[in-house]
Amino acid sequence: MGKTVPCSVCGATATVHLTQIVQGQITKVHLCEGCAEKGGAGDPAVFQLAGVLSQTEVPPTLACSACGMNDADFRKKGRLGCPSCWTALLPALEPLLGKIQCGVHHLGRSPSGVTYSPEQAKMRLDAARREMDEAVQSEDYESAARLRDLIRNLEGQIV
Amino acid sequence: MSVRDILSSENELTHMLGAQQAIVLSTRIRLARNLSDHPFPGWAKSAQRAKVTELCLGALNPMPKFRRAHEVRMEALPELERAALVERHLVSKELSGGKGGAALVSRDQTVSVMINEEDHLRVQVVKGGWHLRAAWHIAEQLDDALSSALPLAYSDRLGFLTACPTNVGTGLRASAMLHLPGLCLAGHMDKVARALGQDGLAVRGWLGEGSDAAGNVFQISNQQTLGLSEDTILRHLSGWVRNVVEQEENARLRLIESEGEKFLDRIARAFGTLRHARLLTSGESMANLSLLRLACDVGMLPEARRATVDRLMIEGQPAHVQLRAGAELDTEARDARRATTTRDTLADFPEPSAPRLP
Repeated sequence: MGKTVPCSVCGATATVHLTQIVQGQITKVHLCEGCAEKGGAGDPAVFQLAGVLSQTEVPPTLACSACGMNDADFRKKGRLGCPSCWTALLPALEPLLGKIQCGVHHLGRSPSGVTYSPEQAKMRLDAARREMDEAVQSEDYESAARLRDLIRNLEGQIV
Repeated sequence: MSVRDILSSENELTHMLGAQQAIVLSTRIRLARNLSDHPFPGWAKSAQRAKVTELCLGALNPMPKFRRAHEVRMEALPELERAALVERHLVSKELSGGKGGAALVSRDQTVSVMINEEDHLRVQVVKGGWHLRAAWHIAEQLDDALSSALPLAYSDRLGFLTACPTNVGTGLRASAMLHLPGLCLAGHMDKVARALGQDGLAVRGWLGEGSDAAGNVFQISNQQTLGLSEDTILRHLSGWVRNVVEQEENARLRLIESEGEKFLDRIARAFGTLRHARLLTSGESMANLSLLRLACDVGMLPEARRATVDRLMIEGQPAHVQLRAGAELDTEARDARRATTTRDTLADFPEPSAPRLP
């Protein structure tokens, strides 16, 4: 029997071993049958997530007072415990977000009734202007018109 | 029972005709949402999950969109019925196998909400054909109704908070299901999938994460949900879908022109197998039905027959075959049943003729 390797997602014995090489950067991920079946093997996002999670095996330093989850739990499960974890465990999540997402600031819609803070409105305004330029360049005038209205609306909120 | 109602009633995916469904089978919008102050389903105790189910159903049921909706509780369903709902893409494998999962499916099946999947709420809008903006519009309205009825977990900086960091922000997964036999036959699919992957899009098989591309059907969706507006995500997907559709059309043209009689032979053999086989595995059935679907698209079979082929693809899946038979069947019995249904359904199909070039 060879040495067993723990699954990068859940810690069970891994039977699927993946190696990804992107621009010379090698990432290895080990998955148990369950996690591989759940999509790990075919899903690039899970590959990235598992890769990032498996890089760090350190004892917990952060904990969520609302649900009791700590950062080691998160690294083991790959899922958070409750919405408050996003505040309590944020220092552990930020580097991960930087790798798997397009940034660390939300630029999408908000629940009805929520208004933006001035910094939020400014960031959205910048993003909307960039998007409008892109829309015009790709001759997507329907989106450009929608973005123009959004920009006017945001400009109104900032003053 | 409501699951049989769902499976037997007509909907956009099983009964819609029209050229616009030739390459893009369906468009899907998924939003992940959670209630504030409740642990996520994977970390919650069963009493907490039950509470979330009641809160969510209580808020959803009165909405006009869910008038006379089908309400299903996963644990109350027999395994085959759960599997059939997964095969219809109305619920995910994760929901069907998890604890305390429920779903609400609108009467016309365009909207479904999964409760206690990975997140408290997973809103799904599915339209037959390519209708990204229309699907998004429905999702947006539903999202507004949800946020007025329930306190949603949201932060100014990170947007909608989700159990997994891959969904945080917009919680939006926009996808298109594409039938790409031309690119597959030409051997270009790997190249296309790589290009999509490098530009932030995921390519998956017919049944989503981790499934293979049975029947040359692929699902293309955005991977990133944070740091992008919904508009950007939709535009990015839209641009690529248009691009892939064009490549598929070109691949079909080249195949027909370069293969000539060989192409007609491929289709005729697929037709022959489906018309006469006594045992059909689901893989063989999907591969041959894919060619028959292509034949409908390029005028070798009447276009009106495409909906019948689509229905055979959906109803030939293992749980559907067994539900129809009214019993659990082993693989060989399933293959025999599938073959019989296929033979009967194709009995009045005309022989494929030479392709018509546009």
